[in-house]
Amino acid sequence: MKAPLLGAAAALLAGFSLAGCEKVSQAMTGTAPAAQIPETAYPERVLWGDLHLHTANSVDAFGFGNRLGPEEALRFARGEEVTSSTGIKARLARPLDFVVITDHAEGMGSTMALYNAPRIMIRDPQVLRWYDMMHEGPRQSVAAMAEILAARANNTLPPMFRDPKASAERTHNVWNTHLGVVERYNEPGKFTAMMGFEYTLMQGGNNLHRNVIFRDGKDLVSQVDPLDPTNEATPDKLWDYMDAYQAKTGGKVLAIPHNSNVSNGLMFMMTDGAGQPMTAAWARRRAEKEPVVEITQIKGDSEAHPFLSPNDEFAGYGTAGWDIGNLMLNEAKKPEMFAAEYVREALKRGLALEAKLGANPYKFGLIGSTDSHTSLSTGDENNFFGKHSGNEPGPTRAMGSQSLGTRLGRFGWQYLAGGYAGVWAKANTRAAIWDALARREVYATTGPRMTVRFFGGAGFTAADLKSDWVKAGYARGVPMGGSLALGAGGRPSFIVSALKDPDGANLDRVQVVKGWVDAAGKLHEKIFDVVWSDMERRQASGGKVPAVGDTVDLARASYTNSIGAPALSTVWADPEFDPRFRAFYYLRVLEIPTPTWPAYDALRFKLKLGPEVIQKAQERAYSSPIWYSPAGPA
Amino acid sequence: MKIWSRAGQVLREPLVHFLVAGAILYVLLAGRPPDAGDRRIVVDEAAVGQLAARFAQSFRRPPSPSELDGMIADHVRDQAYYREALRLGLDKDDEVVVRRMRNKMLALAASEAQVATPTDAQLQALIDESPARFAPGASYTLDQAYLGADDAAGRKRAVQALAQLRAGAEPTDVALPAPLPAHFTDQPASVLASTLGDGFVAALETASLQQWSGPIASGVGLHAVRVMRRTSPGAPRLADVRQAAENAWRARAAQQAQDAAYKRIVAGYDVVIEMPE
Repeated sequence: MKAPLLGAAAALLAGFSLAGCEKVSQAMTGTAPAAQIPETAYPERVLWGDLHLHTANSVDAFGFGNRLGPEEALRFARGEEVTSSTGIKARLARPLDFVVITDHAEGMGSTMALYNAPRIMIRDPQVLRWYDMMHEGPRQSVAAMAEILAARANNTLPPMFRDPKASAERTHNVWNTHLGVVERYNEPGKFTAMMGFEYTLMQGGNNLHRNVIFRDGKDLVSQVDPLDPTNEATPDKLWDYMDAYQAKTGGKVLAIPHNSNVSNGLMFMMTDGAGQPMTAAWARRRAEKEPVVEITQIKGDSEAHPFLSPNDEFAGYGTAGWDIGNLMLNEAKKPEMFAAEYVREALKRGLALEAKLGANPYKFGLIGSTDSHTSLSTGDENNFFGKHSGNEPGPTRAMGSQSLGTRLGRFGWQYLAGGYAGVWAKANTRAAIWDALARREVYATTGPRMTVRFFGGAGFTAADLKSDWVKAGYARGVPMGGSLALGAGGRPSFIVSALKDPDGANLDRVQVVKGWVDAAGKLHEKIFDVVWSDMERRQASGGKVPAVGDTVDLARASYTNSIGAPALSTVWADPEFDPRFRAFYYLRVLEIPTPTWPAYDALRFKLKLGPEVIQKAQERAYSSPIWYSPAGPA
Repeated sequence: MKIWSRAGQVLREPLVHFLVAGAILYVLLAGRPPDAGDRRIVVDEAAVGQLAARFAQSFRRPPSPSELDGMIADHVRDQAYYREALRLGLDKDDEVVVRRMRNKMLALAASEAQVATPTDAQLQALIDESPARFAPGASYTLDQAYLGADDAAGRKRAVQALAQLRAGAEPTDVALPAPLPAHFTDQPASVLASTLGDGFVAALETASLQQWSGPIASGVGLHAVRVMRRTSPGAPRLADVRQAAENAWRARAAQQAQDAAYKRIVAGYDVVIEMPE
């Protein structure tokens, strides 16, 4: 299997200063050659990437000890070896096809600036204390950062952090330097480096974060600075900013919300952002600006929760610890919050809102990403470099308490190794990848690189799988992210095909997750096992397919592909289709059980993990949905 | 009695410990001759100007006379403590100081290297050193039929399927459905490797042209493959890979500058390591 790439290296503190890197980038002029990469008629190959990555330019990442800038992040993503902030040699077993660095807009570069500032200039005793803690060493630096984040959530940051003019000036400079580096690493056709930032909207510790992804290069993107949510603190303000960018430059931009699971009931509300009744215009605007949601990442998985989906035995992946409160853990989770936090429920809510308003605000596709704060886009369980640099490989990270600003709550093992985005683009370019996101022809995985195809249309049959069914899928149906056009009397049928990660585990099963709204406006969901391994032996009974089995050997942190199947394909027609009811269908592809990163850590560092630690799991892919509306495609 | 108890109190004061330790260090390090320059703390016009400018940068206004006096006094205090601490050698076993100094040295070395711009000759030399790193790798045009899992039953089926293909059957007659292209046109080896794994690509290198080969094992199972065209890359041309080469050159130049700077520095020292028995 994949060779673990962490050397048994002693964690030396490398701690490069980044002053030099900034100089380089300033010296760089010119843009990447505007290579004309032809787009294919339809997407032929899935591209793998990370749409959510932080470098030392992010306030928190630097405070947590990250000393790697955008340049190292880009080199790592394209497959080169870099030395992590704690001195460990790191490399991806397989390069990514694209990456977007999404540093926090708020205070971009400010922790680094504070760290590098002459001590004499710091008058505020609180800031001086943090400054000294940061300089004392990595452990104290993490503690200082946790205090800063808590102060931010509680609105008690010292004035120095809140000077909007100085902050805007610094952001402008850091941003432009950053764009120059990204431009240098963008190689159309080979490796796409896109431009973006994170709009870290937080309302009282509740996560309403969005990543903002540009379609364009530095010539357009440098005409704007990233939007600071401190001053512009509602999603509508972000959409205004996006409109202004498009009007000013003629470019294009979209936003991707993430971690709805720690929004405490705010991410997918039945009202608009301000709590007022939702209008059709608001719903349309949201769907247009936010065509994709990040469903899985290091800070948990937001697909489904057992509380909402008690009959789904695979719900609850990556929810442990994340369902106890909001991001900052300054407010506990209440039962009524769950429905606005999980993606499956949001998709259902979207149908109900569409029935009422004529527009669906939650018609979004799905991607996974890492949200690494280490500059390292690591999504594999056996090569996990931690949420932040204070959590790079080491013996204490699995069992330690991780809650920002507290010593309670969430623990290291509850963090996932992170996900990736699969994108069905027509070329490996910024424009083609962005366009695929905009039309939702994308999917999420929790790390493994399974290939997943999903087409919906009227009249697909098993015979289609004997021909060039991909071509047929596009010609006679719609791919994931699309809306069914069935014609009069048509019934939906789906081509479903999944392939294991060529360097990973076999597949257990493919499920169709269906949600619909009935005539009375009631919301429903149902999960259909549509194809699975060893179908003759594993007969479904009572609507359930027996478990695939388990080959995980925890003593060796290994598994074997002696169960499951490498490829699962079928054509499935909805046996319960009712043409009167709005519905969506998405795929959930499950791998056989494999060890989680704490299991690899336990082996590597000879740890004794507590009984509560999840050491094996069935990793998965989630396709973007295909929607059905009695009125036909919107 | 009273005097003794007060003396005891005094001896428990950390400040006293500090002063006593300092005095001992001072005696131990008395070999360091005091430098006359070190004994003068001069805050000249330039230094005052710098203090005022830094203040203005932070607070967006010039300092008032009393604020400036305060900053100067603070600066003098810093210098007095700093120099005295150095004289006492207090920096020597302070890990934070040691790390700070190391980081400053690293930053210096890196910034020197990074202002440089590589010449074409330097870039060409970098490419010649490891052409494979910059070459796109071989490209393939091929037909592929997926034949299922790589197990005993699968192998048997695959052999039959290959016989059928060689007898003229259509790939769609024997292929099992999988989300894989049936044709790859001029695809670089790296793309094939990311789709099917390194083992598959290795097998392609020796596959005969224009005929069905296999079963070839990949990371996802077995395949029948007909390689139609194999294009071996020529040496990478600078014009095609300039950007990647420049990025690589810069990254390496920064690393080399750091390494070289360290070598220069450490060369000035005799390093003696005494391992414990």
